[in-house]
Amino acid sequence: MLRFVALRVGRALLTIALVVTFAFVVLRLSGDPALMIMSPDAPPEALAAFRKAWGLDEPIWLQYLRYFTAILQGELGQSFRDGRPALQLVAERIPATLQLTIPALMLKVGLGIPAGIYAALHRNSAIDRAVMTFAVAGFTVPSFVLGLLLVLVFAVQLGWLPSGGQESWRSVILPVISMGLGGAGILARFTRSAMLEVLGQPYIRTASAKGVPWHQVVRKHALPNAAIPTVTIVGFMVGTLMAGAVVVESVFSWPGVGRLMVVAVSNRDLAVVQCILLLVSATMVTSNLIVDLLYGVLDPRLRGTAPAGGGH
Amino acid sequence: MTRLTRRAALAAGIAATGTAALPRFAIGQADNRPTITIAVQKISNTNTLSALREQSNVGTRLAPLTTERLIDLNYQSKLEPVPGLATEWKRIDDSTVEFKLRQGVKFHDGSEFTAEDVAGSFSPQHMFGETRPTVRGVTLPMAGGNPAVFTKELTRDVPPVARRLWPALERVEIVDKHTVRFVNAAPDVTIEGRASVRGSDIVSFKAFNDSPSWLEYARKPVGTGPYKVREFKPDNALVLDAHDEYWGGRPPIKTLRFLEVPEASSRINGLLSGEYHFASDVSPDQIPQIERNRAFEVQQSLVPNHRLIVFDKNHAPIADPRIRRAMTHAIDRQAIVDALWGGRTTVPRGLQWDFYADMLIQDWTVPKYDPTLARQLIREAGYKGDPITFRVAAGYYINQAPTAQVLVEMWKQVGLNVQIKMVENWTQIFERGPERGIRDWSNSATFSDPVSSIVAQHGPNGQQQQMGEWTNDEMNKLTVELESSTDRARRKAVFARMLEICEREDPAYTVLHQNAVFTAKRREFKWKAAPSFAMDFRALNWG
Repeated sequence: MLRFVALRVGRALLTIALVVTFAFVVLRLSGDPALMIMSPDAPPEALAAFRKAWGLDEPIWLQYLRYFTAILQGELGQSFRDGRPALQLVAERIPATLQLTIPALMLKVGLGIPAGIYAALHRNSAIDRAVMTFAVAGFTVPSFVLGLLLVLVFAVQLGWLPSGGQESWRSVILPVISMGLGGAGILARFTRSAMLEVLGQPYIRTASAKGVPWHQVVRKHALPNAAIPTVTIVGFMVGTLMAGAVVVESVFSWPGVGRLMVVAVSNRDLAVVQCILLLVSATMVTSNLIVDLLYGVLDPRLRGTAPAGGGH
Repeated sequence: MTRLTRRAALAAGIAATGTAALPRFAIGQADNRPTITIAVQKISNTNTLSALREQSNVGTRLAPLTTERLIDLNYQSKLEPVPGLATEWKRIDDSTVEFKLRQGVKFHDGSEFTAEDVAGSFSPQHMFGETRPTVRGVTLPMAGGNPAVFTKELTRDVPPVARRLWPALERVEIVDKHTVRFVNAAPDVTIEGRASVRGSDIVSFKAFNDSPSWLEYARKPVGTGPYKVREFKPDNALVLDAHDEYWGGRPPIKTLRFLEVPEASSRINGLLSGEYHFASDVSPDQIPQIERNRAFEVQQSLVPNHRLIVFDKNHAPIADPRIRRAMTHAIDRQAIVDALWGGRTTVPRGLQWDFYADMLIQDWTVPKYDPTLARQLIREAGYKGDPITFRVAAGYYINQAPTAQVLVEMWKQVGLNVQIKMVENWTQIFERGPERGIRDWSNSATFSDPVSSIVAQHGPNGQQQQMGEWTNDEMNKLTVELESSTDRARRKAVFARMLEICEREDPAYTVLHQNAVFTAKRREFKWKAAPSFAMDFRALNWG
């Protein structure tokens, strides 16, 4: 088990190293932070002073070396834009992002999984078709289109809800629906497919033939076996919690990590982008690790894939 | 002797408390001034509110609100200079201007505005760092006397900005508590103009010194303007409260909230649904949608900023000035204004503005639309159809991509092969190499003299020459003369010649149209947009 975890952690660290390297290369070679932040109209001396102040006038390989060494020492750097620690800037935005992403995740899970199960149990019925139509619509309509539509109806026309901002609890409703419906559609599709596959298995027929009540067959035999693909998707969704929702946060003027990311990338504010990427990749990697471990809990046959600690 | 009983003391205490509390309560009750919410695309590009760092157009929005300058601009008229924190000023000689300061002015922290604050605002500690004045391209040596004591590190990019605004300012002398003299190291007719520019803002020098760092101070500057900073959340919101001791009268709005709403459609939706009272940075095509509802209106401001096309004369196909001239004559500017701006802006008289007053070259115009002349020039230059690269970073200016497409078609009509190359940012636009040809730009005039524009942007220290796109020996000699001459008639002739070189003879750029900004608001608010990016919420512009 220890080797299994060590392997996963090692792979995760390599992933993170690649992510920050990629971020450095792309951001530093495609734009000059001095021009982005100071504006192209700034005097050349001011641009030069800015570059000198932040070490942007040094050879690019030296900048990379400093950048990577600092990360290894746990130093995430300071924002080029206002000189504050990047971690502080990102940490300030995390609560706002979680205010949207956690309820949105709850909406996805709470709506998508029951809808998928229900549709599978009523295969080819009108309800199944209706659920799947909504599911397909949910994940094919981009969240920003849905967001704008919701704003037009519920904010502009009806005046029931705010169109954006972070003024009260009511401000959360429209962005959460915009983010949640698409994910709920995806989960409904996956859950339905997994359930249909499981419901066709011989052990389901056997359990039914033995006279086990149908609801028990579903609860004890079908659901746990159908859970693996669903857990994979939910794990992925948990992994994106910190990344926020770049487009939805922009449409609803929500001051979260997603909007900070957009501003930081457009200004080539490397320390801030790097900090967000580290946070997102760490969340994603942790979530994947938990999903891997959950596989073993859900399906004893998979425990064998954990070489050192797997019990047979 | 009167005996004070416990009951009497209690009664007296209650009465005293009531006396102290009641008037305030009454004032609180009477304060029915509104809280106004303004949705803007961006509050600050640099996450600071100091004009010495935030030199962008979005920063100009706050110009009349928090900090003020010795000479103000008339935002309700044509931006002509008017008394600000100085009530009067006079020339002592060609290099010195004396300012009489307004008395009874209070900073946001309640302290009194004096000459010390003017000298402090223009001090090495706040503005210039260790830079020295530059005269005719030569930096003067360090002066004698006591060197400035720096209590905090000055952000490195500030002194160059300060020196661009005040290249030859030697010192600010305190004559008395309410009089200062600006002493230049060289004769300069633009000292008064420079005193009205954003960046020449007067701040409380004591508050600056008490602040832990320059940047922290720049996020909450203490000025004398009608509104004071309560809270600034970068990339999110700026909340300003009325500065009730404002010398220009009690501000009409209790609290101004600027919210950053990056999406244009979200700003309009928020306005229409009642969350915002104002929505700035509206594009011309959105105006009919907003005004369909009679409760709202859109105000337009023709701002002191012109849209240009800039030439790189090292780009082989346009190295011959006749090709560049042909390009200037192939553009039907009025068609662009009518089609893309709904006629809501104008084609100006070249790179100059009406508020130049006696420096305005009245009979100057942009190159006339003359496709026949353009074709003739192309023939004479022997143009073989080599591609001319046009780097465009769409989205920086209003109507940028459509304008580029229209221009390419107009140039195609006269036989020029211009190819758009979409790029992401300014670094990619400025990337040097034989492929760099033409690009978009806009130029502003920060004060009423051509030094603030044609020299600042196209002179030897201007962006275009610094980027290696264009240079012209005669233009550079004239620049020195325009900056240092005090002969007004000669200066005007020099400026006219500069326009001729830059816009006709050896085109550095060509002006397309004046820029305009559009602010949507509820019709019930009696507020007038200034001819500037600035938003004026003083008493004289409300109700």
